Amino acid sequence: MLNRRTLLTQTALAAATLSAPPLVRRAAAAEGNLVVGAPLPMSGAFAANGKFAALGAAFAAEEAGTVLGRKVVARDLDTEGKPATAARKVQEAMAEGTRLFAGGILSSEALVMGKEVTNGGGVFFTTAGADEITGKECNRGTFRWSVPTYGAIAQTVRPLIAQMPQAKRWYTITPQYVFGEGLLSAAKAVFQEKGIEHVGNSYHSLAEKEFSGYLTNAMAAKPDVLLILSFGSQSSDTLRQAVSFGMKKRMAIVIAWASGLEQFEALGPDLCEGVYFGAQYWHGVDTPQNKAFVAKVRETRKFNPNYSFAGSYVITKLLLDGAAKAGGIEGPAVAKVLEGLTYAGLTGEEEIRAADHQVIKNYYLLKGKPKSAMADKDDFVDIVSFGKSFLSPEAAGCKMT
Amino acid sequence: MTYLFQILNGIGLGMLYFLLAVGLSVIFGLLQFVNFAHGAFYMLGAYLAYEMVGRGVSFWLALPLACLAVAALAALTEAALLRRIYAQAHTFHILATVGLALAVQEIVIIVWGPIGGNLPPPDSLSGVVILGDFVYPEYRLFVIALTAILAAGLWWLLEGTRLGAIVRAGSESPEDMALLGYDTRRINTAVFGLGAGLAGLAGALAAPIRGVDPFMSVEALSVAFVVVVIGGMGSYVGALAAGIAVGVAQSLMTTLWPEGARLMIYLGMAAVIVMRPRGLFGRA
Amino acid sequence: MTRLLERPLVHFALAAATVLVLPLVLRSGTLASEILIYGLAAAACNLLLGYTGLLSFGQGIFFGLGSYAAGLLLLRTGWPALAVLPAVAVVGAATATAVGWLSIRRQGVYFVMLTLAFSQLFYFLAYTFSDLTGGDNGLLNVPRPMVGGKPLSDPWAYYAYVAVLFLALFAALQRVALSTFGRTLLAIRDNEARASAIGFPVRAFKVAAFAISGAVTALAGALHAMLIGVAPLSNIEYHTSETLLIMTIIGGAANLFASVLGAAFYLIAGDLLSAIWPRWLLLLGVLLVAIALFMQRGLWGLIERAAALATRGGAGRSPDERAAPEESRP
Repeated sequence: MLNRRTLLTQTALAAATLSAPPLVRRAAAAEGNLVVGAPLPMSGAFAANGKFAALGAAFAAEEAGTVLGRKVVARDLDTEGKPATAARKVQEAMAEGTRLFAGGILSSEALVMGKEVTNGGGVFFTTAGADEITGKECNRGTFRWSVPTYGAIAQTVRPLIAQMPQAKRWYTITPQYVFGEGLLSAAKAVFQEKGIEHVGNSYHSLAEKEFSGYLTNAMAAKPDVLLILSFGSQSSDTLRQAVSFGMKKRMAIVIAWASGLEQFEALGPDLCEGVYFGAQYWHGVDTPQNKAFVAKVRETRKFNPNYSFAGSYVITKLLLDGAAKAGGIEGPAVAKVLEGLTYAGLTGEEEIRAADHQVIKNYYLLKGKPKSAMADKDDFVDIVSFGKSFLSPEAAGCKMT
Repeated sequence: MTYLFQILNGIGLGMLYFLLAVGLSVIFGLLQFVNFAHGAFYMLGAYLAYEMVGRGVSFWLALPLACLAVAALAALTEAALLRRIYAQAHTFHILATVGLALAVQEIVIIVWGPIGGNLPPPDSLSGVVILGDFVYPEYRLFVIALTAILAAGLWWLLEGTRLGAIVRAGSESPEDMALLGYDTRRINTAVFGLGAGLAGLAGALAAPIRGVDPFMSVEALSVAFVVVVIGGMGSYVGALAAGIAVGVAQSLMTTLWPEGARLMIYLGMAAVIVMRPRGLFGRA
Repeated sequence: MTRLLERPLVHFALAAATVLVLPLVLRSGTLASEILIYGLAAAACNLLLGYTGLLSFGQGIFFGLGSYAAGLLLLRTGWPALAVLPAVAVVGAATATAVGWLSIRRQGVYFVMLTLAFSQLFYFLAYTFSDLTGGDNGLLNVPRPMVGGKPLSDPWAYYAYVAVLFLALFAALQRVALSTFGRTLLAIRDNEARASAIGFPVRAFKVAAFAISGAVTALAGALHAMLIGVAPLSNIEYHTSETLLIMTIIGGAANLFASVLGAAFYLIAGDLLSAIWPRWLLLLGVLLVAIALFMQRGLWGLIERAAALATRGGAGRSPDERAAPEESRP
């Protein structure tokens, strides 16, 4: 039986023993290799993205070979798609001496990891979508490659308005959370500026899978364009169900934030035909860097790089280049090199904006082509237009600390 | 008019929910067994149909085959594993079936990959029916009609046949059944297979509507639980009424208060258990 | 030896030993802290499962609320962590009282389903009130506690902080379990009708068990938010409830230390396996089925069996035959 006194002594004793240095704790990572941490959802609902992103990081490490005289290794850290696990995995990796991190596909994970890595003196480069990453929650150690919501809307909605001047009525379907709100408010601003009638919006929760009710509302509003603002499987489900309701024949359909090849593969060519997609990357992008990259991936990996693969490749490569130039892997030094860096990237000339650590790059408007016109099994779309649109760091709300 | 249409759409949704949930309900009624793997059978049905159609099998053949294959697999699982733990506390029913569901999910990822896939509706049903301003996919109408026929067939099976009588008697007093010389073990296996087969069929029918992905089981399970609890565990009529009620509520909420759709459904579920624990149609 | 394994002091000694051994065998202070935090939440879950016979699918509610309450109080009031924690315990106890009071009106599967519905309800509440919770992004920038004017940013320093609280709360839970109150809970679990006939206020006791469990789980949630610097939406998800239950059952419902063992096993195995094979959840699934079929007393049952073998040279009956889980006395 425990009484209070034994309890207190035991607790005090335990606390005292803890302050002694542990015996078997390894101080640093194995000497020799330069490890780039790739914290990605390898299991859980986003495993598909995680899998290709891990391959992309490994590809970049292999291509880099040796940096700072050390062999480069990309190490996957399975975040399970959960912020808690993600935070733990990067804390652990930092305890072992890793300072460079490329990953974080989900916004919730990326926000947490960016802070952890920065506090631990490392650099974190991500492709996650949330505006806050290079906006309200920006920080010294976090960089982001993908275009935020403002640019995604500007590069999809604006060119489409120009292309279809007769399409005056737009309807939106929005997932109700910060990311969806970001896309929606950007879209509304463009509608207002261009005199477009926003004939309605349906909000749905992030857990929603059945969109027939929302589509019924959309059809009742008789829009010329249906703008889908969800991403991943939710946007696929919305599109699939919209097509089954015959909406493709009655209006133009746009998915503003598509994941590119991986999503087209899941949808198949019939569903994609005639639909507009906004995308961060497409393997058919016509730049010398991308052509060389795609050729090399095809040769060694036997597939076309998708967005997860390419994005992860780019951010890993940028970190490694940064470390090489900085002469070390310590976060502040690498971050300093990256800030303001201009380079020939996969999407053309890209620049890492110093003020908010946002990469200034192209965003693409794609259009699904008929199956008969596809040159190979991955040739789902044509590039309609592309360009760069970004809010200023001040307007994005970034106060770098 | 929009409301009327939303109600019609909700009935369509609800019929699928019924098909998904009725098996869970019957299994519970007969075996007092909480099956957290029910969603996994739904997913397997969807993936099997997807695989067969992808290999050139006609959708009309894939549908019954997927249903039968899932039923057989479930019966096998029941006979080999689950029957051993019926006598245990619910804790172990839940543990075993949660484990089973997890294993099936990962096997699906290993076999078909983590990216989902698309299963187009058969060509004969790929069009739409136009009613004034509104359109409705032919395939969804077909699903409503088919599930209505199935519902009638099931009702006959459970209320009008010897098997049904045995099942109903068995869920009230398994000892009497054994005394009367029925092999309760075989009946249990058959009912488990039937319930899972219906979930598999629901999955195969839902695949052209929502596609297939390795996480569809979780979503299906939560819907099935809501329907079963609201309708009353073990109640056939309850599953039908609650399935349609949940479908209609979900569809109407998209117009009225979309953010609150899920909130309302779970609030309703909690309210029903607190106020009418046997569900709206459960046997007292 | 088997007798020894039934003594609460031994369980406490094992918990203390765990606190001391983790830093020796683990490289990650974060993982070690997570083990103690989840161990605490699993022990609180076991107070309901093993001692009161209540299979609650709602533990994630209290864990998640604890994270949010701690985050909000730390960020908005500027109170020190030691002032925030008691407030978090009150929030957890109050919510658990409400959820428990409604849930215990039903028994068996209906109870389970009711806690499941509440768990979904709270998840969608947290999702909807994103101004408070940060919605899907989570409530960011939750600070570590300050000791001596400096935040405990080193993982092992924070581990020590967690360890002290863990041992204190573990001992407190043990005291509850060993008190007249705890023994009454066991009586209710074993035969509710009889306990009620004797004149025990059965429902009040169950609600009290919920309140205590909720308070401790909320504290664990608070410690978790301070550990990872965020109160994520996933902490209040149904999945957290499920994980806590799985940990508890893997450990075995027999005593409170078994739950700590279950949490440690789950997290360490998950950490090792996920580094080797992304499909490791398959193995977890198989393990759960195996436990349901063959190892219903969990890991603790294995230890008992090993101890029985060691003392009787394998001649004796195994503990599993001796006592079905329903009758086992913690």
